[in-house]
Amino acid sequence: MKAHFTINGEKKEFEFSEGEVLLDLLRRNGYTEVKGNCYLGTCGACTVLIGGIPRASCVTLAAQVVGQEILTVKGIGSIKHPHPIQKAFAEKGAVQCGFCTPGAVLTAYALLKNNPSPTVEDIKIALDGNLCRCTGYIQQIEAIKYAIELIKGGK
Amino acid sequence: MLKLKGVSECFYPETIEEAVKLLKEGKDSARIIGGGLHIAAFPNPLIRRLIFLNNLHLNYVKENEGRVAIGATTTISELINSGAINYYNGYSIKKVLQSIATELLRNQITIGGSVAQNEPYSDIVTLLAAIRARVLISSGDRESEIPLKEFYAGNFRETLKHSIIKEIVLEKKGEDFRFGMERFVKNATEIPLLNMGILVQLSGDTVKDATIVTGARPGEAEFFTEGEEYLKGRQLSEKNIEIFADFVEENINVDTDIRLSKEYRAHIAGVFAKRILTSFLREV
Repeated sequence: MKAHFTINGEKKEFEFSEGEVLLDLLRRNGYTEVKGNCYLGTCGACTVLIGGIPRASCVTLAAQVVGQEILTVKGIGSIKHPHPIQKAFAEKGAVQCGFCTPGAVLTAYALLKNNPSPTVEDIKIALDGNLCRCTGYIQQIEAIKYAIELIKGGK
Repeated sequence: MLKLKGVSECFYPETIEEAVKLLKEGKDSARIIGGGLHIAAFPNPLIRRLIFLNNLHLNYVKENEGRVAIGATTTISELINSGAINYYNGYSIKKVLQSIATELLRNQITIGGSVAQNEPYSDIVTLLAAIRARVLISSGDRESEIPLKEFYAGNFRETLKHSIIKEIVLEKKGEDFRFGMERFVKNATEIPLLNMGILVQLSGDTVKDATIVTGARPGEAEFFTEGEEYLKGRQLSEKNIEIFADFVEENINVDTDIRLSKEYRAHIAGVFAKRILTSFLREV
């Protein structure tokens, strides 16, 4: 089947199989910043935002989100112009092997959009689906707290 | 990795009538898709037709005079964010909902999908059955609202071949009701090894009526009728709770699977019953 999606603000048309998951469609079309791992929705490496909501793209059928707005980690900032969350993750040592980072950053992005001043408990609940095999959770929480400061300070 | 190799048709009906017609036409090779998690995580090669409910606008939570209607495609996160049943007769249902799976999956798991799948490890089914939820079934031209207990007692999988779940309906109970739920998991994001929900109606400190549901037994959630009958007419006292915990351990219908033995499950069930009833005692 053929259908349109809006990915990182750009309207795109893709041809895909009716039974294909969104993760595969994205990676096949060059969005390799979306990582694939468990294919069961349990690790969060494949997190994307669909209509602003974090979802595991490995268990989301592409056909189900036809026409919707999809955001990958490249959609919120770049190496030259990183989003404060990306900057905070780099500065606070929240990136180790980096495999979980795109998903964790996007989850944090969605959290701060809805709740600009989350408690540590709120951050933990939001991140509970983004596993970090390097176990860098403390750094991720610190990075998100730092990102809040950066955003509030307009940096 | 193409997960659903057999799928060749996707439909986006605009009405329930249309969805039911597509479902009937597709017979056993058609599936209604709510959140889509189950079919993507556990692909079935026999499925040819997917019927997405995206355009039916069934993600809502409506409150009206103590009655809460939850649209079938409402996700767990949407239900939490609605605040409609965060507290149910003094008990924090929000805490139970937030402990299910992970944020990513709570953003995808739908209430209607959980009821339709009736997976053995479902916390949602145990929760809804214990608080005596009702399910609104629509076949397009006809709708019927029945208690979840009745729905599961019948051949609900057959029913869902020619109708869809439109809503789950909850009625907030009076101040004489108490509700509590416990779940046992090995880690925060794992499926439960056992769960239990208890709703009691009190007359003073005596149990007038009770509903007890146990899930992840490891079989599907089940009403513990013997326990419900046992509690009726008994005073809620520390001594009686101790005796009831032993009764639960001896009589609960649980079994062994790779993750837990029957004996351990039975013991935990007794502990759960004691914990939940003791929490009511503090409020009597």
